[in-house]
Amino acid sequence: MSETGYETAFGLGEDGQAPANALSTLRRLWRSADDQHGKLFIVLFCVIAYTLLSVLGPLYSAHVVDLLWEGIKASLSRGQVFHVAWDYGGLEILLLFSLYGGAWIFYTLMSFLMASFAEQLSLRLRTQISEKLNRLPLSLYDRTKTGDILSRATNDLDKMSEALQTGLLKLFTAAGMITGSLIMMFQFHLGLTLIFLAFMALSLILTRIFSQKTLRCAAKRQQSVGVLTGLVEEAYTGRSVIKAFHREEESAAQLHQATQELAQASQKADFLINAINPAIRLVNRLGQVGIALLAGKLLIDGALTVGRFQAFFQYVYQAAEPLTEAAYMINSMQSALACVERTYRLLDEEEMSPEPAHPVVPSSSQGRIVFEKVAFGYAPERLLMKNISFTAEKGQKIAIVGSTGAGKTTLVNLLMRFYEIRKGRILLDGTDIRLMTRAQLRSHFGMVLQDTWLFQGTIAENIAYGRPNATREEIIAAARAARIDFFIRTLPKGYDTLLSDSEESISAGQRQLLTIARVFLYDPAVLILDEATSSVDTRTEMEISAAMKALMENRTSFVIAHRLSTIVDADLILLMEKGDIIEQGTHQQLLSKNGAYASLYYSQFS
Amino acid sequence: MKTILYFLSPYKKLCAFTLLAMILDVAGALLIPRLTADMINIGVTSGNMDYIFQKGLLMILISLAAGGSAILGSYFCARLSANMGKDMRNALYDKSLSFSARDFEQFTTGSMITRTLSDVNVVQQAVVWCIQMVLPVPVMCVLGIIMAFSTDAGMGLLLLGVTALVLALAALVTKKAAFIFQRLQWFLDQMNTVVRESLTGVRVIRAFNKEPFQEQRMRKTFQDYARSAISVNRLFAGLDCFAFLAINFSVVGIIWLGGNRVGQGHMQIGDITAVTEYAILILFYILMAQMVILLLPRAHVCLGRIQAVLHQEPEILDPSQALREPFSQDPREPVAVFEEVSLRFPQADGDTLSHLSFACRRGETTAIIGGTGSGKSTIGKLLLRFLDPTQGRILFRGVPLTQLTQKQLRRRIAYVPQKAWLFSGTIADNLRHGKPRASREEMERALEVSQSHFVNSLPQGLQSPVSQGGANFSGGQKQRLSIARALMKKADLYIFDDSFSALDFKTDAALRKALAKELPFAAVLIIAQRISTIQNASCIIVLDQGRIAGIGTHSQLMESCEIYRDILRSQTKGGENRHVGNRI
Repeated sequence: MSETGYETAFGLGEDGQAPANALSTLRRLWRSADDQHGKLFIVLFCVIAYTLLSVLGPLYSAHVVDLLWEGIKASLSRGQVFHVAWDYGGLEILLLFSLYGGAWIFYTLMSFLMASFAEQLSLRLRTQISEKLNRLPLSLYDRTKTGDILSRATNDLDKMSEALQTGLLKLFTAAGMITGSLIMMFQFHLGLTLIFLAFMALSLILTRIFSQKTLRCAAKRQQSVGVLTGLVEEAYTGRSVIKAFHREEESAAQLHQATQELAQASQKADFLINAINPAIRLVNRLGQVGIALLAGKLLIDGALTVGRFQAFFQYVYQAAEPLTEAAYMINSMQSALACVERTYRLLDEEEMSPEPAHPVVPSSSQGRIVFEKVAFGYAPERLLMKNISFTAEKGQKIAIVGSTGAGKTTLVNLLMRFYEIRKGRILLDGTDIRLMTRAQLRSHFGMVLQDTWLFQGTIAENIAYGRPNATREEIIAAARAARIDFFIRTLPKGYDTLLSDSEESISAGQRQLLTIARVFLYDPAVLILDEATSSVDTRTEMEISAAMKALMENRTSFVIAHRLSTIVDADLILLMEKGDIIEQGTHQQLLSKNGAYASLYYSQFS
Repeated sequence: MKTILYFLSPYKKLCAFTLLAMILDVAGALLIPRLTADMINIGVTSGNMDYIFQKGLLMILISLAAGGSAILGSYFCARLSANMGKDMRNALYDKSLSFSARDFEQFTTGSMITRTLSDVNVVQQAVVWCIQMVLPVPVMCVLGIIMAFSTDAGMGLLLLGVTALVLALAALVTKKAAFIFQRLQWFLDQMNTVVRESLTGVRVIRAFNKEPFQEQRMRKTFQDYARSAISVNRLFAGLDCFAFLAINFSVVGIIWLGGNRVGQGHMQIGDITAVTEYAILILFYILMAQMVILLLPRAHVCLGRIQAVLHQEPEILDPSQALREPFSQDPREPVAVFEEVSLRFPQADGDTLSHLSFACRRGETTAIIGGTGSGKSTIGKLLLRFLDPTQGRILFRGVPLTQLTQKQLRRRIAYVPQKAWLFSGTIADNLRHGKPRASREEMERALEVSQSHFVNSLPQGLQSPVSQGGANFSGGQKQRLSIARALMKKADLYIFDDSFSALDFKTDAALRKALAKELPFAAVLIIAQRISTIQNASCIIVLDQGRIAGIGTHSQLMESCEIYRDILRSQTKGGENRHVGNRI
């Protein structure tokens, strides 16, 4: 998230990506907006009415101005003062006003209708994503970066709605305006129109050249941003080292160098981005001079009236603006489609296997677990675990040890059916876990992980996460059992303290204790402790383990620990290596076996 | 605002040029319709083509001048903002170097990174927008109205009225939008938080069968955000439509009133075009500025965050007059002495460290042991003067730390931080942090003592690349390299802050043996969690919640200190004490 965050903050996120299949994405988007089709049809009607009126406006204003000018000339020749009156000019001006007024009404109508279109569409897609997230297998989460999925739901759809919000309406009206104005211009005068078109072509070519150059400069700037970002992160994170080795001056010099390079790169890129508008305006103005010159001659020759002269200029403005913006609009529409395409790709991800049609409900929760010749792999042809078999009797403490990547956490994930096994079966109290619903299965398990995940809510809500209807007394009792009650009471708001992501007043150890309290209250039959005490020191760990022991009483528990000292009293130790169990037994059995476990155990003391 | 002016002040000339270019551009934009009107006037009255050509030539000249100055203005503006951004970043970083650990931690690393990178960028962007879109508005309004008045007083009044009306409305919308925008930003953050939470916590959520609950939470933030975004869109649509209406009213008003004024001979028929164009230009500029002004509150927040860093007074300052060679030359003088040292963080209920007294002597190893949160790492920070004690004092070779410059002090201390952190570059680059012009032999020696034999097996040896933070090395390798870096430095005191935790027991032992041989005359301070790491120290200090719970040798503490025995028991469960007892 952090890198992409900077990118967008630096305004360099405009990836000119094109959608892979624009047409089918567009069709799908149309279907996604099917609740708003009526609205879109009204908008389309408004667009047509609006462009018609807008194109007619200058034509009629030409008539009005000519009429006034005739009147003025006539009055002047008679030596009288001309006044706009109801029967002369007034009615026409009022008509002109209602023409513009009509255009305004349609414009207002469609602007307000469209104000909610894009956001409602994203809301719909977002809601679909939130439902989808619960149906995706855990393996997808493991192989996808959090930031990627996050931006499908937030950034991508934001970009889409931003583009659709202003872009769609602009695109519609631009198309109408350009056609209408050009038709009128050709009607007025061919030569004038050709001059206009020639200069438009020139400014389009200019835009192209500019944007290519801009892209290159922006890439260079992005590079400097990358260098500086790396340097700044490194310097701030390692600042105690910099200070301890009194390297402040060298470090500052290095950073100044990087900011200098960025300044140079962004000066260039910014200049190109800023200069394109004035450059195009200049070309357009020169075009207007050409038109004015020719029109002036036509005026003298009497081939063009004053009103039509003015009206022609109005058409020039009406057509020039959308034409120069066309490239930009099409670009932004394209990248919006590319964004939606990514969102659809997420929505199309393969889901978890369906729940059994007639789930078996295990009679009573005992907590006896059997792994029978279990094999597992993310892909069927590449198995990570080939043959896992063991039995955990009710109430036993099972310790899983092994080096990182040996498959300890995977084993637990299979047990909770986060992953589907490829071969063999896993039994909970004699029932194949695939015959139960996932919810039924998981209601027997309580988990404490190394990663201390808490959600944004109060401490009490977090402890009661598994049992939302727990009373305050029960919550406090759980906190006391996890030895966190005292700490919570020292907080100004106690149990009602709001936890947020950036909460720094709560240490990692304390967060861990909260997750332990959460399991205490949940009161499951089987306990899973995955490196649960790795963020607390040994002495606190000892205190907690006393409470843990009470919790483990009459419960089957699976313990993954990095300190062997905490698991010597386990009923069964599973030593894992490369996905398989290479030794199993009690501490004494394994030591007397003098195998891999024994050498691992003694290695911490030799 | 003051901060912006401060950062602009080195570029006064550039600012003046930027403004001048902008004014020329606006003036040009207004002169073109004026000339077009003249052409019409000539065309319908005198019918003199030569005049028309003259006007046309003038128009081309003005277009070129205005366009040229606009492009030049973009260049000045880009240059100004690039330089300002550079200066701000440099100032932020330089300031951060003067901070104590506490000064810095109050901002947090992540936030300091954001402030230095993206906050500065937002401010830069805002300055550019202001120069290009907001500042031209008053110029445009004033010049446009003057031009209208110079054409005809009636027209001028009409334009003045419309402009005032639109400005008033724009101000009103801005005020309202600022509030809605703030709320929108909040909902956006909320949406990010909740979605992120659902992704990172997927295991826990599923384990507790809380999928529906989490879905509900997401849906609510999505709805809140959509509702808020739609209200912003409606506000904009309203403003947009109002401006549309205002333009229509003005055009019709100008034709009606203009028709009369032309009829009375106060102005000419072509002037109607000119005044219409002024009106459209003024409204267009106001609308553009409006969009930008709505984005300014965010820039203001960013600027505030930058200011907070720049205005932060560093807590620890060097003495104004430091002695050149203040240290005691007596070798029996302890290298470091803590005298009744206490430390309490502001707003904290209790002391982080309380009444600590001990000394580190040459040729001796002092060890500090305690649980997480016992305050043991803080002792290292105090010695390096990353923090100052609230009570008591610390002496270094007989001199109070406050009488030394930070450089004088730190030159004599070698430090291995708790979190091994290497800098991108090569291994040799990192080792040279300890001694800038170190020879190859010296580096190899330091690697040898620190048990970093793995460097020899790397294809590029000392020249092997190190990525940011040392991410391309394992935790244990990083620790050994940062120990080597510290050993490069010839110091009176070596501090090892929990520096052996990622090492296996064998390497830990070998390393400590080599260290003892390498540093016979220096004082060594080891901060540790594992008793096996420190039990041979000359003096072990047991810290518990910031207090000294016991002080002495291993065997003394085994006798007298309950907490020490507790710690030992927790690390050797299962009655395996004998393994620990027979250490080196």
